[in-house]
Amino acid sequence: MSFEMWVEKYRPKTLTEMVDQKEIVERLESFVKARNTPHCIFAGPPGTGKTTAALCLAHDLYGEGYREHLMELNASDERGIKMVRETVKTFARARSIGEVPFKILILDEADNMTSDAQQALRRTMERYTETCRFILIANYSGKIIEPIQSRCAPFRFTYLPREEQDRFLLRIAKNEKVQVGRDGLDAIFEVCGGDLRRAVNSLQAAASLGKPVTADVVYSVVGRANPADVREMVKTALGGDFSKARDMLREMILKYGVAGSDIIQQIHGEVFRLDVPEQWKVRLADAVGEVDFRLVEGADEEVQLSALLARLVEAGAKIKE
Amino acid sequence: MFAAWTVKHKPRALVEVVGNREAKEALVSWVRSWDAGVPKKRAVFVYGPPGVGKTVSVECLARDLGMELVEKNASDYRTEDAVRRFAGLASQYGSLFGGRRLILLDELDGITGAEDRGGVAAITDIIKIAQCPVVLVANDVWDPRFAVLRSYCLVVEFKKPPAGEVVRHLKRICEKEGIAAEEEALKFIATRSEGDVRSAVNDLQALAAGKSRLTYADVSWLAFRDRKEVIFSVLRLIFYSKSCDAAKRAVDMADIDLDMLFQWVYENAPAHLKEPEDLVRGMEALAKADIYRGRIARTQDWKLTRYVVDFMTAGVAMARQKGGSVGWVPFKFPEKIKMLSRSRAERALEHEIGLRIKRRMHMSANRAVKEVLPYVRVIFQSNPEWAAGLVRWFDFNEEMVEHIAQGKKYTKQIQKHLQTE
Repeated sequence: MSFEMWVEKYRPKTLTEMVDQKEIVERLESFVKARNTPHCIFAGPPGTGKTTAALCLAHDLYGEGYREHLMELNASDERGIKMVRETVKTFARARSIGEVPFKILILDEADNMTSDAQQALRRTMERYTETCRFILIANYSGKIIEPIQSRCAPFRFTYLPREEQDRFLLRIAKNEKVQVGRDGLDAIFEVCGGDLRRAVNSLQAAASLGKPVTADVVYSVVGRANPADVREMVKTALGGDFSKARDMLREMILKYGVAGSDIIQQIHGEVFRLDVPEQWKVRLADAVGEVDFRLVEGADEEVQLSALLARLVEAGAKIKE
Repeated sequence: MFAAWTVKHKPRALVEVVGNREAKEALVSWVRSWDAGVPKKRAVFVYGPPGVGKTVSVECLARDLGMELVEKNASDYRTEDAVRRFAGLASQYGSLFGGRRLILLDELDGITGAEDRGGVAAITDIIKIAQCPVVLVANDVWDPRFAVLRSYCLVVEFKKPPAGEVVRHLKRICEKEGIAAEEEALKFIATRSEGDVRSAVNDLQALAAGKSRLTYADVSWLAFRDRKEVIFSVLRLIFYSKSCDAAKRAVDMADIDLDMLFQWVYENAPAHLKEPEDLVRGMEALAKADIYRGRIARTQDWKLTRYVVDFMTAGVAMARQKGGSVGWVPFKFPEKIKMLSRSRAERALEHEIGLRIKRRMHMSANRAVKEVLPYVRVIFQSNPEWAAGLVRWFDFNEEMVEHIAQGKKYTKQIQKHLQTE
């Protein structure tokens, strides 16, 4: 029996199969029609279809043999100037044979590149524009140096709306003959936000238990995959234990790779449910929004979120008075 | 039993002494020249920086040539009596049992003219008429005190051996101790010691004793060791200065990388800001500093660095408006840096797993380990049949399966499924 991760099994192959992100898909389809594409930056939180969109674009441009015109690189595995200088250049300068006169280089996690490497990349992009188009993928476009940003068409990916995610998950469940209840979907959305990759992985891990996927099953699975949880962290901070709250934050970010934007979204959800005076909720929402914006600008997730935790400690102390 | 490696692995013969081939040859040929009668220079003045093997070379020289070594150091020259004894020794070529004698006067820098009744002059007088080879050892031969003495001696310089030779020496020690050491780790220790072999060996022992492996991660923190005290006082300044200026000056004191200092401040500030309002101000100042770091990275405009400094020093110092000193709190080593130096072997295996996932899932190995591995683990622990399918799909090897499943029970079940299908 062949078995694989459902994320790959159900990854859209063509632009028309893409889940949501309609405006982006439309623009990309117009590139396909024109048989031409500019350099692009796909920015947005994890699991929103950035890599998939790049692969689909290549597929639609070149057809089935698209792999031959495409190179996928990962800046966080091979970052540094050396990577740009050697791998990228060798690929970029060779001319493509076929109907489309250029190749596509997908550079994933480009926001992890050092700025020196980005400078080198900028020159390469310029030099080989004719033979190669770059698609840079990043969580935060703010971490890409400005000269590169200005050479690229920007695409901003956003979290999927709840209905789209549910529809996608239900399709998988039906195909895999897994029972998923309403409360199971609620739970998945609650813990994964609109991160579709995480949602599909959660569904698959939950289904592996061999029981219907209920909220309890989802929480137990996610609890095992992701022991720290945002609500607990917020509670700890409000209780006045900053150090412990910060440790929980670190565990989420450093160990389990939870995206800062994801944590922010959940904190925002918590704020209005907190047992604090109403004025405080507004004040905290302001602080959350400020951090959200700073992350988009390219600030450090852990440092910024710690500052937010300090605010929660302060709110907790005020309530006690 | 504990034994200092500098002693345990001390060279036994001249060839084992790291580097300085010319100097060693000069010593040998000078001692040999005594066979033909008392040479013109009756003493050799060996000099060079600490830890390059001056003393040990003389000891090996005596052993190589089968001579009796009489060793004295600075504290032995303090009394008239001691000097007289030295004079007595030096006046005879042979030793009591017929062998030949080599006299070593070590740590000559330690002699201070006024206190030591014998002093340099007395030693000079003895050397003028010495009947057996005398070796003087000091760090600095050009010290004016030695001007006259020097003229009666053959001067031999010991230089800092190149890092490559030091690495070879450390490698030999590791082999004898049964330690598998990464070349990078030894290189780091050797480079850091700046040619001081003794301190390199000491560092090696401190880091590797009792271990079977030595990795780069094990040693890289050494870079901060010597400066820990400096960092602590800098942190105190930042946390407790009453003026912006004083806090900002802290950065000049700390001769460390600004990012590193930021991590130290970020790690330790909360423990020193106990009042919630102070804490908010402090963490916000660090967040602002971080914003400027981001702007620098994006725009490459390095002059913005001054604002990073403002916020991470003065900003943090001025955060304290309500609370007083929290008293003594031990400083903590930054978590972030600790995380980066987690056991290399484990990280290497996880990285390998990440690479397998990456081949299938269009994502970096890094992210695969954080985002996909935890779910794969759940599947491995709850559904051996699916797990076996994934093992094939990802092409995980046995070691990987064991690491992912984290338990013999699960591993066995998965293996069973792999065999039956």
